[in-house]
Amino acid sequence: MNSLERIKAAISFAPVDRTPAVPQLFGHAAALASVALGDYLRDGGLLARCQIEALEHYGHDVVFAFMDLCVETEAVGSILRYRDNQYPDVASYVLAPSSSVSALAVPDPTVAGRMPELLRAAGILRRELDDTVLVAGCVAGPMTLTTQLLGIETALYLAADDPVRFEKILDFSASVAIRYGTAQIEAGVHLPIVFDPSASPAVVPPQFFRELLLPRLQRVFASFRQAGALANWLNIAGPTETTLPYYPEAGADIANFDYYVEPQRAQQLLPHICLDGNLKSLLFVEASPDEVTAAASRLVAAFADRGGFLLSSGCEIPPEAKPENIAAMVAACRGG
Amino acid sequence: MINPEMNKLVEVLLEGGHAAALSEARRLRTAGMASERIVTEGLEAAMQRLDDKCTVESFNLLEIMLVGRAVSAVVNELYPEGVPPEQGRDTFVIATLEGDVHDLGKNITKMVLIGKGYRVVDLGKDCPVEALVNAAEREHAHAVLVSGLITPVIPQVRKVRSALVERGLGGIRVVAGGAALKQSSAEALNVDYVAETAFDGARYLDSLVVHKAEGAA
Repeated sequence: MNSLERIKAAISFAPVDRTPAVPQLFGHAAALASVALGDYLRDGGLLARCQIEALEHYGHDVVFAFMDLCVETEAVGSILRYRDNQYPDVASYVLAPSSSVSALAVPDPTVAGRMPELLRAAGILRRELDDTVLVAGCVAGPMTLTTQLLGIETALYLAADDPVRFEKILDFSASVAIRYGTAQIEAGVHLPIVFDPSASPAVVPPQFFRELLLPRLQRVFASFRQAGALANWLNIAGPTETTLPYYPEAGADIANFDYYVEPQRAQQLLPHICLDGNLKSLLFVEASPDEVTAAASRLVAAFADRGGFLLSSGCEIPPEAKPENIAAMVAACRGG
Repeated sequence: MINPEMNKLVEVLLEGGHAAALSEARRLRTAGMASERIVTEGLEAAMQRLDDKCTVESFNLLEIMLVGRAVSAVVNELYPEGVPPEQGRDTFVIATLEGDVHDLGKNITKMVLIGKGYRVVDLGKDCPVEALVNAAEREHAHAVLVSGLITPVIPQVRKVRSALVERGLGGIRVVAGGAALKQSSAEALNVDYVAETAFDGARYLDSLVVHKAEGAA
């Protein structure tokens, strides 16, 4: 089995030759190649080269055409602050609390901000790896983009104070995700992962997720499926036990779960959905390779009978992670 | 047990109604109730109710922010110049350290502590350790609180205690919290306590105050 076949089999609960290794390696690929993170995040060719080098180094099963969760808000008009070896943050949000979202246009991914560079990275990765390795794109989910357009505190207060206006912004954000994700599929990704950390129950209650976010996620995933996505992948970190049951209704085929949720519980909640998770991100920075091996092996064993599992971290593996710890995780999938 | 005079205030605070909370606090003041009582019997009671409700499994920022905004509005009304040191239960200095610009967790913690009657000095985000130590000394802080969402800030967190000790402030407790830091341990971070949530941290600080009071008695 090649990597793509292995992941496809896991998604459909078919037998696999080994558990797919899907470490969430984004900025770490730059660190591994001794490339400044700030350059990696602005140059699609460099991003693709670093992802391929990381793949060759670790032998895992996926590459990520992903920069950071500020790409969309920058493309819409927010001003970012870049730093050499950190992800950028928003210096000036495009939406003021009182301004209208109708004044904003859904950005054209072929020209707006860093989106064209990301599409270039997607194209290179697909051409170079053909159909041997999963090429995953990434978009910010509707809630996360909304918080990135306004600032998270402003967005949350707006949700309470002016729900009608808040929902209009959510709809706009879903439209951005659809257009950007569809462009990624056209550029070569097998699927765009929807990252929506602000939709975590740590941020908003489950009722909020069900009533406001679920309909938008349904729209996004239906569009991706229609555009030819191999599968729909929803990645929300944090204590998601109360919202995981809604993922099938959202249209997700793969569900990320973080270290807060026990593997057995995730299996009970989503018996027919492929799960990916749930190693602690900090483990890759602070633990020893033996500790990573032990934790990863426990997870692989927990899913051995069920299948439908991709070994991953619950959240991003930090750029400064120790390479030997990532190697230990990948080796655990091979039974080593 | 909530003082019946405070029922309405506690109710609107828990609903996150900041305008209604402000209006009720003004009514209580006009009726002759002392600011300190409004804080201790109204705001603190509401925060205790919220604490009881917010377990690790059902802790979400939106609800806490709405209550926190209402509490802050009342505190600002009662003490437009800030809570005077002699009325705050204790003083804490809080910051997101240099290298991390995410400050929502810090802001939530600050709101929770203010609601519990503490005086909180907020140094903002991307704060150098030296500035934290300077403020702890200047404000006679009983503890310093550091929040971190991303892992690269961890080396800064590890420096806090030694920086305090070098300044002769080794008695000041160090509390850490936030998504990145709570994956670690107090020992690994070289702090006194790692808080799972803002309320968990507040309970730890409450216990310090109780111990101090018992020691003084």
